[in-house]
Amino acid sequence: MTQLILQSAVSGILVGGMYGLVALGLALAFGVLKVLNVAHGELLMLGGYAAFFAFTVWGLDPFVSLPLVFITMFVFGVILYYALFRYVMRTEINTRIKNSLLLSFGLVLVLQALAVRLFTADERTISTAYSSEAITIGLVRVPVVRLAGLVVAVVAALVLEWVLSRTRFGRALRATSEDWTRAALTGVDVRRVYLIAFAISAALAAIAGSMISLGYSVSPSIGLGWTLKALIVVVLAGLGSMRGIIVAGLFLGLMESLAAVWLGGRYREVAALVLFLVVLSFRPQGFFGRAHV
Amino acid sequence: MLVVEGLEVAYGDLQVVWNVSFEVPKNSIVAILGPNGAGKTTTLLALMGLLQVKAGSASFKGNSLIGVPTHEMVERGLVMIPEERAAFSSLTVAENLQLGAYTPRARPSLEKTLDEVFAIFPRLAERKTQRAGTLSGGERQMLAIGKALMARPELLILDEPSLGLSPIVVERIFEVIQQIRDRGVSVLMVEQHLEMALEVADHAYILEMGSIVADGTSSELAADQRVQEAYLSL
Repeated sequence: MTQLILQSAVSGILVGGMYGLVALGLALAFGVLKVLNVAHGELLMLGGYAAFFAFTVWGLDPFVSLPLVFITMFVFGVILYYALFRYVMRTEINTRIKNSLLLSFGLVLVLQALAVRLFTADERTISTAYSSEAITIGLVRVPVVRLAGLVVAVVAALVLEWVLSRTRFGRALRATSEDWTRAALTGVDVRRVYLIAFAISAALAAIAGSMISLGYSVSPSIGLGWTLKALIVVVLAGLGSMRGIIVAGLFLGLMESLAAVWLGGRYREVAALVLFLVVLSFRPQGFFGRAHV
Repeated sequence: MLVVEGLEVAYGDLQVVWNVSFEVPKNSIVAILGPNGAGKTTTLLALMGLLQVKAGSASFKGNSLIGVPTHEMVERGLVMIPEERAAFSSLTVAENLQLGAYTPRARPSLEKTLDEVFAIFPRLAERKTQRAGTLSGGERQMLAIGKALMARPELLILDEPSLGLSPIVVERIFEVIQQIRDRGVSVLMVEQHLEMALEVADHAYILEMGSIVADGTSSELAADQRVQEAYLSL
């Protein structure tokens, strides 16, 4: 029993790292642009396929293709912003959430249908030579590909945090998220900040997708599930701390796993949603949230 | 330096600024005075490209400002300090000041300007690592002015710099505004406190219900019977 609990806890933490990684981009777009992009999971799915085909067609290891996937989806993010989200940004800040919800839900349907057409509905996993390797610590087995995913998540959060707190562009991002009017009056090209923040958000989703197609699997319909998990993580963590988002992701993964062991597998999702409701009711700004991002 | 002619601004169908014309000559302090809701802030926001101008023209150093994006205004040397809490509360004092020098024009002289700002407001140097949200009202206004100076403005626009501050702090702020002018920066300010503003301004305009109803040098306006009756001898 102890072994089962320990093993579940570790698996939960590993998948929690993915929740956190997916949530980073969602939180960035939400915090800076004030849009809720429910197609974030579809961007993840596209990133996952990009890594998968880079591996099967060109034989590129997913860690080698990671920068390529990042850049490709950054460019795709720029295109999406210009084609669609730009129009949402012209509306009042209070109506952006509902407008972006409608828009991105449409995008979910389009991207899913397109993915079925292009890639078929089959589930795909990148299987490298090291895919089945694992590190055994005591009673617990840690698959290296999933551990690598967790490491990527932590590194992504730390890099993002460094950019936000230490660079000129990071200061402009934080200023824009606090009040875009005052940021513009400070000389910040707010539209450019929006564009770049959105593109980074898309690229981060793709990074998560890469790691998910390596450690888990991708199929055209996985998007919404990951978006939902990311949303729960953002609510748990609150906006303002990228490190906090990873911690909240790990916590969510752990809670789900433990609920599955103790209460039964079908309680996994229930645990996540109960956690979501409890935090929303008692600490709406989240564990690490500030009044401003 | 700044010339505004026949400016009209509307929020949808509701027009709030009617045929407003004024001028800010180089090296002067110009005040736009008037009661709450007269359209003072609206005029400034339209000037800075944050509200759509319905009609009229505005030019700075001979170049039209109509349709110029807000961040580009800052690059051109027009810097506005919005009403209340102009600094970013989630950023530290130092980060706010660094952000102030965001434009390509201001960036190369960041360190030099920072020393100048700390010389004017030694308090800001003491509070460097503190978040702006934790400052007192007076300190916040100092930070707002310091941040604006970091952009190396040629024309500094202040929206109600005295709002919510104690008389002693207001006096200090107005002193600084005069110092800034003496360094060769023109100043345009909007105020409700007529007496105080007329003391420092060279020229003033009275805005009421969205229209300019009087203008003149500060001494002329202070002596004007109507202005006295309406505002000064309350």
